Amino acid sequence: MFYRLSGIHHTRYESARALWPVTADRRIILGLLLLALAAPFLLSDLYLTSYMLPWLIWTAAALSLTLLMGIAGQLHFGFAAVMAIGAYTSIHLTRAGVPFELALLGAGLMAALIGCLFGAAALRVKGLYLVMATLAMQYLVEWTIINVPAISGGAQATLSTPDVTFLFVPLQSDGALYYTALLWTVVVTLLIMNIKRSSFGRALVAVRDKDFAASVIGVNPLKYKLLAFFASSFLGGVTGAVLAFCYYQAVTPEQFGFNVSIQLVAMVLVGGLGSVIGAYLGAGFVLLLPIVLTNLLAFVAQFDLIPISFNLLSHIPLMVYGALIIGVILFEPLGLAKIYDNIRKYFLVWPFRHTQS
Amino acid sequence: MKRLLKGLAGVAGAVALAVGGTASADKEPIKFALLQDFTAVYTFVTSEYNQGQQDYLRLINETGGVEWHPIETIIRDTANEPQRGLEAYNRARREGAVLVDFFSTPVSRAAVNRVLRDEVVMITALHGRGDASHGETFPFVFPMMATYWSQATLLADYIDRHQGGLANKRIALVHIDSPFGREPLPVLQELAQQKGFQLRSFGYPSPGTEQSATWSDVRRYRPDHVIIWGAGGGQQVSVREAIRNGIRPENILSVVWLSETDARNVGGNHMNGVKRFEAVAFGQEPAVIQDILTHVIEPGLGAGPAANVGSSYYNIGVATMAVAVEAARLAIGEFGAPLTGDKLRRGFEMIEGFDARGLMPPVTITATDHQGGGYGRVSQWNGQTWEPLTHWTNAFQDIVWYEIEKDARGFRDGR
Repeated sequence: MFYRLSGIHHTRYESARALWPVTADRRIILGLLLLALAAPFLLSDLYLTSYMLPWLIWTAAALSLTLLMGIAGQLHFGFAAVMAIGAYTSIHLTRAGVPFELALLGAGLMAALIGCLFGAAALRVKGLYLVMATLAMQYLVEWTIINVPAISGGAQATLSTPDVTFLFVPLQSDGALYYTALLWTVVVTLLIMNIKRSSFGRALVAVRDKDFAASVIGVNPLKYKLLAFFASSFLGGVTGAVLAFCYYQAVTPEQFGFNVSIQLVAMVLVGGLGSVIGAYLGAGFVLLLPIVLTNLLAFVAQFDLIPISFNLLSHIPLMVYGALIIGVILFEPLGLAKIYDNIRKYFLVWPFRHTQS
Repeated sequence: MKRLLKGLAGVAGAVALAVGGTASADKEPIKFALLQDFTAVYTFVTSEYNQGQQDYLRLINETGGVEWHPIETIIRDTANEPQRGLEAYNRARREGAVLVDFFSTPVSRAAVNRVLRDEVVMITALHGRGDASHGETFPFVFPMMATYWSQATLLADYIDRHQGGLANKRIALVHIDSPFGREPLPVLQELAQQKGFQLRSFGYPSPGTEQSATWSDVRRYRPDHVIIWGAGGGQQVSVREAIRNGIRPENILSVVWLSETDARNVGGNHMNGVKRFEAVAFGQEPAVIQDILTHVIEPGLGAGPAANVGSSYYNIGVATMAVAVEAARLAIGEFGAPLTGDKLRRGFEMIEGFDARGLMPPVTITATDHQGGGYGRVSQWNGQTWEPLTHWTNAFQDIVWYEIEKDARGFRDGR
């Protein structure tokens, strides 16, 4: 009903394989894109810089990880380290005088190179053992950054990002930072959607589902596993650089710690493995929900209805947050993306009940 | 909707103030934002520290405020995550906060550029960047207590003066393997050259719950003195492992983060004789703490368990707010209300010889020196309490300032 299918028939393969064959989906996407473009004029600087900006960048990171974990099926518990490599590479390159556009490329390539090195472990091990290999990457990269002052920036271990321009626009104002992040997130989104409908994406899915079966039908698992690590780490590295330049503006090793890796995995899992919209929802859930809960509780607390200590007060959001994660996983193990999908399917045939897929 | 909620919140706040009947509600409030980590890494200190801050501000509000301006606090949990800290900071700034205290090194490092741009005072007592003592480079950042460099030089000076001199000694620095743990290294290396002692550093992996491999290395080195440099749960492990490896408690010296809780956890009288750097006096004797007991704790207005009053970290929290309130008082006296970030900054820079009535060493903050002199003292655990062994003093500030200037220059060049 709402996602009307009547009048949509495909006479050519190209139209059937379009990203959004249903008119209603196209309209929703267009509306969201227009809203995103207008955000600097609609939102106050608080919501623009503290909610929209980090949400977009973390979404790009979750999308990069979902390419590896959801589509190619290779678990990665050290993705924050990949982003750290990108962030530190881009800062050192721009400090050496390289233009920011090239530094982003360099950040991606360096992250992809080192990511592939550890990804090579994936050729021999699977599942939990791969988790261990990528965990090793997390700790090795962190250790290297902390112990090599030339990388971390000396005793204070803080590097400020230099002033740069991106496509002739100085990255200074909130608007410029926001649009750079938006551009990158849109690029990553389109890329992942296109990978999913290309032969590359299908090969990754084949490797994910059974690598020796993939090998039997002529997909080289070695090549595609490495390619998945390369592509995902490249995107992760650039995202790390965007995070450093557009959001933090100063990088320290703690910003890319193990807990950040876990948050990224949580974003991908809560959102829905391999789903693009899931990355958006998952990043919003993991990143913004604790903030919203904290502020909500602080708002309620100022009425002094129940006398509770601040210590307890600050732990209540954690309890609620934990309960919500368990709730989402119990209610819909396939993640927030599947919940949206269920709603969409319900309205697809509304007022009738049964859907086909 | 947002505006409506805000309006409601404002009305509620006004009602609460009227009903609470604080003595000082007749002028516009000064807002301090205490956006700290209550749930993640700094939990070993935050609850007591924040309780001390709240109790002191309550005491000020109960006794007339700052020139009759009450102080309002904005308290939020940041879970030690920079993105949550920055969100809370942006929100507090919009609500008119003139001072922020993150009490978290990662968050305050991420916020440095923003507070400098927004002209909001950020206090970084015993955390954050040590080079922020350089007032010209970091006009809105105030470490206001001894930096880690000053703590290291003071401990070395204590060994030099009271434990048989530094020359030809072997000193082991056993530290958590993080930027914080490595921070004292450059000043100690410089001192080792000047004073002719051997220095070796031993790192243990974060979070420091397992250190046995490191300490067998330390034992083989046969150090005369051991300086332990960690925070939280790792500290009691360090003390226990040191004693197990035959190092006498008298020869163990610690960074400021060693408290009576650690002594209890080490157990018995095993920690007797261990020394620590102390930035703020311990216990309930100081006059300010006595005032808090009479005006805040006894009427039942305390922000937390009364047993915490006078603990090491509680008193540090009181001291930070005592300095901040003194700065606000000076700023309003000199430049008048309403208080802005810039006026408060200049208030801080007018503080001279302020010791919060014996709670802390006399602090003098100037436009160039935001550390306040780097004073502290060495105290020793005697089974019951921390017994001060020296007067308030500072040491080797020339070496400390060489480091401060070097890093501050790096910060300026990096921009």
